[in-house]
Amino acid sequence: MTNITILIIGAILSISILYLVRKGKMHGPYATWWLLVALSAIVLSIFPQIIDWVAAKLGITYPPTLLLVLSVSMILIRMLTMDMALTRKERKIRRLTQKMAILEDALNNQESMITRNNTPPESVKKSQVG
Amino acid sequence: MKTLIVIPAFNEATNLTRLLPELIKTVNFDIVVINDASTDDTAQVVCEHGVKCFTLPLQLGAWGATQTGIRYAARKGYSQVITMDADGQHLPIEVNALMKRYRESSNNVIIGTFPSRLSYLKKLAWKFFKFLTHIKIEDLTSGFRLYDKQAIQVLSSKQASMLDYQDVGVLLLLLRAGLTINEVPVKMKDRSDGKSRVFSSWLVVLKYMVQTTTLCIANIGKRRTQ
Repeated sequence: MTNITILIIGAILSISILYLVRKGKMHGPYATWWLLVALSAIVLSIFPQIIDWVAAKLGITYPPTLLLVLSVSMILIRMLTMDMALTRKERKIRRLTQKMAILEDALNNQESMITRNNTPPESVKKSQVG
Repeated sequence: MKTLIVIPAFNEATNLTRLLPELIKTVNFDIVVINDASTDDTAQVVCEHGVKCFTLPLQLGAWGATQTGIRYAARKGYSQVITMDADGQHLPIEVNALMKRYRESSNNVIIGTFPSRLSYLKKLAWKFFKFLTHIKIEDLTSGFRLYDKQAIQVLSSKQASMLDYQDVGVLLLLLRAGLTINEVPVKMKDRSDGKSRVFSSWLVVLKYMVQTTTLCIANIGKRRTQ
């Protein structure tokens, strides 16, 4: 029964991921990771003996431990890489914010210079008309 | 030899109305105020004094604001940057003391220090950080500093953008780049208005201590980059 449950979970997960990619709500590397998770759930639910076989090779007496340890460590690794990605994003945001402030000031100066340069010809025109 | 004075400011309109006229009168360097997403009329006050003002669209904190000025200095080819607080704690007249020490010594960074302002707890915290990092400077947190061209290059780097506070992390980065730091005692005024950004509440202090300790420990034994 459990195998069927896991198979269903894996199937729903993979369909959801494909749906999210289709809707543009998840992109590239993230989608690949989650599809791999879904795929391994499906494979393990169809061939649960894989776990028993690997556990026996590694000398683990109670195979489900292997599954739990592996999944928890995968989650931890994923969280670590997420924080690394967040740090990169934070750095980019900070530098963009700084650059934007500098460029905005330069743009304002340029605009005020252009308006200043444009005023004299207009006044000249007016005086010619007058 | 162009010098830029960088003043990070968050809601410092009242203090800046007092500081800017005095600063303009005392020194003839270029001045730039970095408005760290203030909610009062800091930007307006700065513009009224005819001083350049950068307004950050997102709040980056004291160091993020200061780095904006340093990056601008790097872009425009300034040879020195002097940073000072907007709250009037650092006296404009003391800018000359920094410049004098800079010309006399051959150091890359000059820090204006006022050790007697420290409370017992702050001294203890700094002793701890000095023990962890082997930085031999009296006043770690003073924001009254002069950076030369090499220091400007180091501090405008991407790596420096990840720092959260301008004290220990900045000093470690500078020392690792092989730059030398000197300090000069200056007079400082008590904060005329507003609170210290770092030592404002116990929770903030705790966060600061934990983050800075992590940074110090992570930097133990790191080689010089240049």
